[in-house]
Amino acid sequence: MPRWITTAAAITALGAIAPAVQAEPLKIAIIESLSGPQTSTGRLIATAAEYVIDQANTNGGFNGEPIQVKEYDNAGDTSGAATKFREAAADGAHVIIQGASSAIGGQVTEDVRKHNIRNPDNPIIYINVGAEAMELRGKKCHFHAFHFTTTAPYRTVPLMQVMSEQGDLGKRVYSINQNYSWGRDMETAIVDNADRFDYQVVDKVLHEVNRIQDFSPFVARIKSENPDSVITGNWSNDLLLLMKAVGDANLDVTFGTIFMDQPGNVANAGDVAEGHYVAHSSNIELLDEAGPEAYKKATGHYPVFIEPTTLNGVGLFAEALKQVDFDGGDINVNEIALAMENTTFDNGLGGMHVRKADHQAVIPIVVSQVASGVKYPVDGTELGFKPIKTVAGEDAIYPAQDSCRMRRPK
Amino acid sequence: MRYALIAILALLALLIIAPPLLGTGWQYALINALIAALFAAAFNLLVGQGGMLSFGHAAYFGVGAFTVIHLMQSVEYGDIPFPTVLLPLAGAAVSLLCGALAGFFATMRSGVYFALVTLALAELLHSLAPHWDEMFGGEAGLSSMRMPSLGFTFGSTLEVYYLTLSWVVICIGLLYAYTRTPFGRLTLALRDNEQRIRFMGFNAHGTKIVVFAISAMFSGVAGSLMAISNETANYSVFSTQVSALVVLHTFVGGSTIFFGPIVGACVLSLFTFVVSGVTHSWMLYQGIIFVLVMLFAPKGIGGVIQAHIEQRHALPWKRLAAPYALATLAGLMVACATVFVVQSLEIVLSREYAAAVARTGEYAPYTVFAREWQVFHPFTWLFPVLLLVPGLYLLRRAFARIQTLWDKDDDNDNGDIPAATQELMEGGR
Repeated sequence: MPRWITTAAAITALGAIAPAVQAEPLKIAIIESLSGPQTSTGRLIATAAEYVIDQANTNGGFNGEPIQVKEYDNAGDTSGAATKFREAAADGAHVIIQGASSAIGGQVTEDVRKHNIRNPDNPIIYINVGAEAMELRGKKCHFHAFHFTTTAPYRTVPLMQVMSEQGDLGKRVYSINQNYSWGRDMETAIVDNADRFDYQVVDKVLHEVNRIQDFSPFVARIKSENPDSVITGNWSNDLLLLMKAVGDANLDVTFGTIFMDQPGNVANAGDVAEGHYVAHSSNIELLDEAGPEAYKKATGHYPVFIEPTTLNGVGLFAEALKQVDFDGGDINVNEIALAMENTTFDNGLGGMHVRKADHQAVIPIVVSQVASGVKYPVDGTELGFKPIKTVAGEDAIYPAQDSCRMRRPK
Repeated sequence: MRYALIAILALLALLIIAPPLLGTGWQYALINALIAALFAAAFNLLVGQGGMLSFGHAAYFGVGAFTVIHLMQSVEYGDIPFPTVLLPLAGAAVSLLCGALAGFFATMRSGVYFALVTLALAELLHSLAPHWDEMFGGEAGLSSMRMPSLGFTFGSTLEVYYLTLSWVVICIGLLYAYTRTPFGRLTLALRDNEQRIRFMGFNAHGTKIVVFAISAMFSGVAGSLMAISNETANYSVFSTQVSALVVLHTFVGGSTIFFGPIVGACVLSLFTFVVSGVTHSWMLYQGIIFVLVMLFAPKGIGGVIQAHIEQRHALPWKRLAAPYALATLAGLMVACATVFVVQSLEIVLSREYAAAVARTGEYAPYTVFAREWQVFHPFTWLFPVLLLVPGLYLLRRAFARIQTLWDKDDDNDNGDIPAATQELMEGGR
């Protein structure tokens, strides 16, 4: 018998003795980018996740013990994430929460999958609150991974549907996206829905990611095609600079975006942003005031950008915990995962649940327009996100991918 | 020499005995430190010995990683039988090839131009990779699983650790042996003066290509080990960060000494592992260490150690003991003051603290060094000053004293022609 099995057995035996004295606390590891360029996103995710768990702890924790949360800084790269995953596993984590970047998501979900194959007696759940790559729900899907964020087609369909209903989509649609998996997923979604919403994709452009300083050549190309609307999955600088260039060229065209609600975008774009659309998984304008206010009291700001997704995802997880009871004994992670499949969680806009086929959450999508006169203006401007329509999750979601072959525990 | 051998054997014994007693988190951190050490040693063959500063060595590291992950996938699906323990050979072969090809172009120039060509070649891969899904797996990367081989399952971190350790020891051994060969001497002479090499009848360009390719090959082995340990490869291994990190490791460790970069890589990787778990400001501390080393010990940590070893018979150790102790104490004082200020600012300027202030309306005390501090209490801000000012003063005094004691024995001047070149010239060419 190899030595590691004996060691593992010894550790398991020690673990088995412990509950006689004290109930096993549920351990959650947040493996996020807490230093380096992606800190702003990572910090938001960690804050939101901790907020939900703090609430669960004030309501009595889990298994008779407070839930333990620990932050692990992956420093924004896959190697760091791999290191921190091992550390978290060694610390006995039951659940891992991660969100910023699909590259790191790919690393974490694979690490979790392999850990669970090698340690079937103490598996780990991966809660993805931000990684949007389709592949994570396709080829890389597995039973212990839950995806609470949307993907390119998931957000594009409601975006197009509402823009079309509002008469802002038009017949001529221009697609401009970043040239990597996310941007290409977006482009595919835009092309695939042409017949459904009766438009023509007049041109599609893929450009370098976050390297372009001047979008005016692209805007000249857009102008020459004379589109009614531009659909883009661009984020950060690529979205800002694109909108600015359009504003400078006096081009009257409506933008349909995915990431307009990233903090700072509206302030930077200024009046150019007004009238453009964004599809997101929540909008605080629609929520009961108590929730956002309580959140602001605890964290100093209203939930923005990726925080609502995190609140909803971890919220569903916390709801699922109420359905299982280990009576102060050992925690069975598979039972928690099964409970998550069967939990419906009210996120304030409607019920959300997890699709069994690929563990993609079915969440309502809110399509909003940048406008003044809203309850929660953003970035210190007068503008905010005026909700236009909420599309039910079932109507928005893409079909489960064939590449996902999920093996369920026996 | 004998002492060095004993020290290396003792270190090796420690590396073999200790890990089973550590947790998997530490075992994994040690794997990363070993990989970083091999990468830095391979990089230093080019920089320290060949005198060619490359800013794009992530390319060859990444090529090794992707070669191995593809091979691992083929093994996993049963297409090709290939023992897990020999996987790094494949990474080495492909990286050698790529290194020879890239080296052919890059080494046509030297100095800054060489650095820029290597940077451009690495950037080429970094911008190509995310567009080529079949080869590099898109944003989510490629993934595979280690298959059992030679009776080992390679399921536990410990087994991977020993696999990594074996490869790293063999490769570093080979790299060291290389420096002892005539070709290794030629490499050093190349760094000293390329023109002279040419006049002595060697093919400088050819030599540089070979040096570049060998360095790339060992970087590829490091990349392979990384792919084996992570079981994934992602296009982000081509990023400039990876190239920059190996430069950092090499120069903090000291590029003029063979073991310098290895020391630097181990120290900084473990530093990152430990400190990043404690504070989010770890990058700042890493930067401070780099700046201090460059300012006060340009030959790196390895250089400082080597100077002590070389001078060990000449130095007045008894008289040095007091200033060394004083310098350590003063250094600790300055370090404490710096850490205190950085940690205080990190806490007080954080969003959580601001939210707490907004919620309760008062500035709650915070904890640093296991003691509570009031933000507006004068002692909180007097405390670091009280440590810093005397600390700096004592440090200066101690170093002035150390300097005079060292200078007394410093009379070994090698002359103008560097040793390696001299050796070659004496060789009769």
